[in-house]
Amino acid sequence: MDDQGCPRCKTTKYRNPSLKLMVNVCGHTLCENCVEMLFARGSGNCVQCDTPLRKSNFRVQLFEDPTVDKEVDIRKKVLKIYNKRDFDFPSLREYNDFLEQVEDIVFNLTNNIDVENTKLRMEQYQKDNRDLIQRNKVKLSREQEDLEEMLLQEQTVNEQRRLDLLQEEQRQLQAKRKNKQALLDELEKSHVPATILLAQHRVRAAKLETEIEQQKQAVKPTNLFSTGIHMRQTVSLQPVPKIEEVLYQYKALHVETYGPLVPELEQLGRLGYLNHVRAAMPQDTAGGYTSALACHRAIQDAFSGMFVFKR
Amino acid sequence: MFHNSSQGKYWILKNEDDIEQKRCKANQKFRHKILESGKPGVSESLFLERHEEDVLFRHYERRMLDFCNAFKPAMPKSVVGTGIMYFRRFYLHNTIMEYHPRIIMLTCAYLSCKVEEFNVSSTQFVGNLLQETPAGQERVLEQILEFELLLIQQLKFHLVVHNPYRPMEGLLIDLKTRYPALENPESLRKSADDFLTQATITDAGLMFPPSQIALTAILNSASRASLSMESYLNECLGLKEDKETLSKMYESMRRMKTILKKYGLPKPEEVNAYKKKLERIHAEFASSNNKRKRGYEEDGHVAKEPRLTEEIMSDEDML
Repeated sequence: MDDQGCPRCKTTKYRNPSLKLMVNVCGHTLCENCVEMLFARGSGNCVQCDTPLRKSNFRVQLFEDPTVDKEVDIRKKVLKIYNKRDFDFPSLREYNDFLEQVEDIVFNLTNNIDVENTKLRMEQYQKDNRDLIQRNKVKLSREQEDLEEMLLQEQTVNEQRRLDLLQEEQRQLQAKRKNKQALLDELEKSHVPATILLAQHRVRAAKLETEIEQQKQAVKPTNLFSTGIHMRQTVSLQPVPKIEEVLYQYKALHVETYGPLVPELEQLGRLGYLNHVRAAMPQDTAGGYTSALACHRAIQDAFSGMFVFKR
Repeated sequence: MFHNSSQGKYWILKNEDDIEQKRCKANQKFRHKILESGKPGVSESLFLERHEEDVLFRHYERRMLDFCNAFKPAMPKSVVGTGIMYFRRFYLHNTIMEYHPRIIMLTCAYLSCKVEEFNVSSTQFVGNLLQETPAGQERVLEQILEFELLLIQQLKFHLVVHNPYRPMEGLLIDLKTRYPALENPESLRKSADDFLTQATITDAGLMFPPSQIALTAILNSASRASLSMESYLNECLGLKEDKETLSKMYESMRRMKTILKKYGLPKPEEVNAYKKKLERIHAEFASSNNKRKRGYEEDGHVAKEPRLTEEIMSDEDML
């Protein structure tokens, strides 16, 4: 949307592409300049809803809809308190109830429904579960640390690999240069004809090349796929067991009509039946009608169930 | 086709006794229902006996046939056949004492027009009740619509009826094609048609497959013209090696002919006497009747305001 803008100074993104919109806890936007101006003393009230705000709580609006920013903010706060996790509950059902409760609270706070009560509820909860919250917080931060450590490790490994590669290349380059230098030296000092020296050099160069190639190939095999799956791990490559089934065999449909055999539709003409029915008019045939159809139906009806005897 | 139809599965009964039994059961059921309801002044003599019921049934069936034949635009035979079959199927499990045949027969004809794709509007349909005033026609129409769903339910939703008319056409084509021994098959048509018309107002349709009825009609017509068609059965229908089926077929035909011969028009004086009885029954139990015939409405299928006054029409009003 182009008409996103500051509600106070009416500047829009269209007119000022470098416009930076800020959001505070109440979910109302202001542009950066207005924030600087209004909150020069570090605190003040929201222009739109008069909520007392602090300048430090302003952050850049990430989403088009400022209420989403507000919700993200609130969610962050709520989750700090409601930080139980699935293994803190005896059953999945209770965990789901807990999550739903959290969603309710976030929704209420975001949409200003029953704010007082919700806040009271949160405080009550905080009081009741102080220990658990603290414990989970510690646990979470520890996990966070673990994660960061892992990331760091990965980074260093990557860096190491990059350096290795660079070094390798440098070494190869050096080897080539040395080779060339040697050739020049030899051409200078030796008494052997130049063509032989050149040939010798070529052989050596080729050998070097193949060595490099081999090294490159030797480097390649690692024991990890890019997806992180171990290469040695046997990912069952056996074909899916075949289910032995008897092949379907077509059997012509047989309908018991309890009567004499009715000739096939296609044979009616050949057998002379069609000489005894009214020929189809040209306008009838347009729709796909043929006199054989009516004839066939009459004969089918005539023979169907003829030999049914109920006594 | 007939061989896998609901008609073949559920509506072909073994013999006359089987049919008669079912009708007796319906009659008994109604008697019990009324006697158990404990209405004062109800005695067994009030009810119609089975044979009386039968006379009236045949009378109303005849009326229905007349109505259909006089219908404008002219009703195709299959519509008439289907309608009469509905009528017979309905009173197989119900009695005329409970549902008045006067309205059921019209409902059957009306439903049959729809099922057989004989396109008449409902006002056009009741427009054929020539004796009725427009207001009366309107009333009848309302009644028809009221009974229609009940009828469909009582027919167990088996609405497709296989009539013997198309099988007869098929047989004639087959005769012309495969049986040159017969010189002029068309000459059989007239009397075979009569046979089929006769057959519709008997229980033949409830006992025999339509193809058998058609074959019997043609063979009957041939024997009247003193033509023998035995070789057709033997050669063309392949019954030469199958003596058992052949004899069963002859047996079947014989039974069918007896049924047709047995049919007699109801005597007018009998009809009049029983009709009085029927009207009395309906007048007596009208209230319970009304409730019952709206049974499907109570199920919540149709939400319709019950009419305050139900006028009882006489037959003469209608036709």
